[in-house]
Amino acid sequence: MNYRDVKQPNYRHVGKYMPRKEAKDIVTGKATFLADFSVPHQLYARTKRSPYPHAKIVKIDISAAEALEGVHAVVTHENTPFAAILGYPAHRNMLEDKVTSTGEPVALVAAETMEIADAALDLIKVEYEPLPAVYRADEALQPGAPELYERFPGNEVDPGCPYFQPDGPWWQIKRGDVEQGFKEAAFVASDKIEFNEMPCPAAPEAPSVIARFDGDDHYTVWASAGSAHIMKLYLEAYNPGSTFDINTFNVGGCYGNKQAMVVQALSACMLSVATRRPVKLVLSKAEQLTSYEVRLGSVMEAKIGMNKDGLVTAVQGMWLVDNGSVCNGTGGQVGVGLGEAQLVLAKCEHWDMDSKMVVTNRQQAGVVRGYGGQELNSCLERLMCAVMQEGNFDPLEVFKKNYVGHGDKYQWRDGRTYRGRGSFFFPEAMQATADQFGWAEKWKGWLKPTSVNGTKARGVGMGVIGNADIQEDNSEAIVRIVPQLDGSNVGGGQCFVIVETDVTESGMGQRSNACKVVAEVFNCPTEWVSITPSGSKYNPSNFGLCGSRGTITTLKPVSEAAADARRQALEIAAHKLERPEDQLYMQDMVIYVRDTPEINIPVSKLAHRELSIVGYGKHVEKFDVPSCVAVFIEVEVDLETGHTEVVKLAGGSDLGQIIDSKTVEMQMHGGIGSACLDTAIFEECCLDKTNGRLMAASMIDYKWRTFNEFPPFEAHIMESQIDTFMFKALGVGEVSGAALASAALMAISNAIGVSIKEYPATPAKVLKALGKA
Amino acid sequence: MTKESVTLTINGIKYKFSVGDGRGDVAPAETLLETLRTKLMMTGAKESCGVGACGCCAVIADGDALAACMTLTVEMDGKNIVTVEGLEDAKMGLDPIQQAFIDEYAFQCGYCTPGIIMVAKALFNRKANPTPEEIKEALAGNYCRCISHYTVLRALNKLAGNTDAELSNFVRANDLIKDPVPVHEEVYQSPYAYGHVCRHSLD
Repeated sequence: MNYRDVKQPNYRHVGKYMPRKEAKDIVTGKATFLADFSVPHQLYARTKRSPYPHAKIVKIDISAAEALEGVHAVVTHENTPFAAILGYPAHRNMLEDKVTSTGEPVALVAAETMEIADAALDLIKVEYEPLPAVYRADEALQPGAPELYERFPGNEVDPGCPYFQPDGPWWQIKRGDVEQGFKEAAFVASDKIEFNEMPCPAAPEAPSVIARFDGDDHYTVWASAGSAHIMKLYLEAYNPGSTFDINTFNVGGCYGNKQAMVVQALSACMLSVATRRPVKLVLSKAEQLTSYEVRLGSVMEAKIGMNKDGLVTAVQGMWLVDNGSVCNGTGGQVGVGLGEAQLVLAKCEHWDMDSKMVVTNRQQAGVVRGYGGQELNSCLERLMCAVMQEGNFDPLEVFKKNYVGHGDKYQWRDGRTYRGRGSFFFPEAMQATADQFGWAEKWKGWLKPTSVNGTKARGVGMGVIGNADIQEDNSEAIVRIVPQLDGSNVGGGQCFVIVETDVTESGMGQRSNACKVVAEVFNCPTEWVSITPSGSKYNPSNFGLCGSRGTITTLKPVSEAAADARRQALEIAAHKLERPEDQLYMQDMVIYVRDTPEINIPVSKLAHRELSIVGYGKHVEKFDVPSCVAVFIEVEVDLETGHTEVVKLAGGSDLGQIIDSKTVEMQMHGGIGSACLDTAIFEECCLDKTNGRLMAASMIDYKWRTFNEFPPFEAHIMESQIDTFMFKALGVGEVSGAALASAALMAISNAIGVSIKEYPATPAKVLKALGKA
Repeated sequence: MTKESVTLTINGIKYKFSVGDGRGDVAPAETLLETLRTKLMMTGAKESCGVGACGCCAVIADGDALAACMTLTVEMDGKNIVTVEGLEDAKMGLDPIQQAFIDEYAFQCGYCTPGIIMVAKALFNRKANPTPEEIKEALAGNYCRCISHYTVLRALNKLAGNTDAELSNFVRANDLIKDPVPVHEEVYQSPYAYGHVCRHSLD
């Protein structure tokens, strides 16, 4: 199949840039984020946090805090209004007589002002009995290690994720015969690699929530959550018997990390029950950086075999996943990580990859962009590098050869097996991106710099990852064609369109894309199409924007709903115009007869006066279409100081069809943020092992790159019209950076001539590798 | 000397506040950010790092961009302050920087955007055509995690008339194809995604 032979549609809106519906509000400061919003008569919450990583709470005295003028309630494990289970599988209550990480909540205060609540925290006296702590998954599994929960003997979490896995738990890839696979291998490498610094996604907007107890076990919540639906799912599970209506606004950076915010929401809910007032809880930046969810920790011990043609023949290993102190459905991330490994190594027939999830006394790890894929990829690709180096293969050729193609089988997060039905052109997309980057000129071989100029050495690296979660979870939408009242002709059209589906905007622009595809189906201006405010109560169900699902699982239901409404409109018009439907077309909310357009009828005249035409569409999840992103990086390492600078980046894919050009460009850039690229270079969460505290408690200490540190970026996007839904597109944002960390280590290793396998490759580690420290 | 009141001019309007520790007073330790957001309901400047490290709270005071979270309101007595709410003109419309941000899609989540716009505005007020390096340097105190950097710089470089400053090269493979297959309208879409057209097809 030749790319140039793919028929490329000529759309009115799709594929072009459309300013977002929120654009004007954002640039004028009018866009609402949670902290900008208040509920009448609200109180303010603050949290007293554990100074110990592992301790029994012997005694809490809240009397002085309660007596402080302006304090309305103080809640501890001794007086919680409800149990608030935490964990999936459930393994603890949110407030207990024991703490398992530094910074976890011990007491909650609701007061008239934040300042009064802060003052009350200091008046709460807590007596602890410290217990020994453990900070590594492998150490937590050792006999005699401090045990965090009765529910997890030996600190091992039950494998699997029941919500994702209807056929039973799945946490291993076992097929074929690895011994046979290793016999077929010409090159074998084995090692232990860690991606274990558990960095912080550090969204600019701190997790925030307002909760109002409405009585009868019902709560209304406003939150900076990336998905009202996901938050509702978790909260109703963790407070059984209760119901929640979740409202969201614009979210100031989510990266998957602010989807549920269960601890913050449950805290505010408890205080609302105790005070019978709405309660607003906004984390400080210090709390966000030191006590909020971070990336999973990963330690992988594995062995890979590769034949003389560069195809992987066997993978064997154990992936240890560190949840920190709470496991919140990490089995889902493990499932996706294992699935993504199979997309990268899709030709391998022999697998024996096991996994274990472990709890430790580190801060709770949760969902972050990449969703287990980055964590596993960062380990596995280092191992692939070792075996590619043995065979002296160009990594580009290896990735092209091994990546999942049409018909290749893989097991996905639900434990079921699928044959890939994605693009035919992923290898071509990788090559085209490589060409644009200049890979052929820059790649000099393993551990060979691209160039050396005095004390500065340059090297290149690459990585590939993909995700078959791009059709995950079910969604639905309603689209209504609404006639203007009294037949008025506002904007030239007599109808406007309302799209109803629950999509919270955290920067991907999918709310606007939903309007755009509907406008495309109706062949009308995008200005005539609006989307309902996000929230779980009144909208048709939608898991929201996570895991690259937005493109297919939101745009498919809305476009099908629009097509349904359009079909109804054509049917009525055909009857009124006495023509066959096939002879009609719709443009700008008027239906015309083809070849005699003077015979036409406005859509506003089709239904009964002032009534809508309503269409419905849905998507039911499946996992048979993988995405793919290839990333390339060039670094310059100062061999005297060990400092690494990124001098060039590239990312590319086949997306089937670009829905919005500038959105796609930004999604490719996005992989530089969200604790992706820089987790290989300098970004980390430094843990003080004497007290279990993360040491970077401010944005002065949590170092990240500034505006004058962004290198040139090349992006290359193919559009081969992949058969996913009406507009043949697939999503990509989530994984645009997931392979960047491993690519960066490859580049640094090549620059300095020594293989580095520790994340991040800080100057100290580079100098140590060079034997200079 | 104890201040009993402070008067700030914000977006051209004078606001007088009593200084004190009573409810509704501006406390001596109150930051300009808090005054803007909680007393005046001007929520464009955002609370983020609280230590002046991220620029999300940037406003302009007497021509200079500053971090409102690190500025005491009592020290702004008599100053002329501009916030993002004050950029759009009722008659002239959006500030050119705001319009450029829309045209180039120079934001993602938008949380850091008001701060970036205000810092850029302070720069452009001082110099109509800053160089690409001057623009980057001015924004070095603004934190964006979604990554709007490339499109922000594109928008501001365009405004400044800098033509050779593009950092992001976005190539669509379709633009590289010569003589692409012509497309005609289809009433009946094929049920086969990758079916071949054969001699006997009506397609």
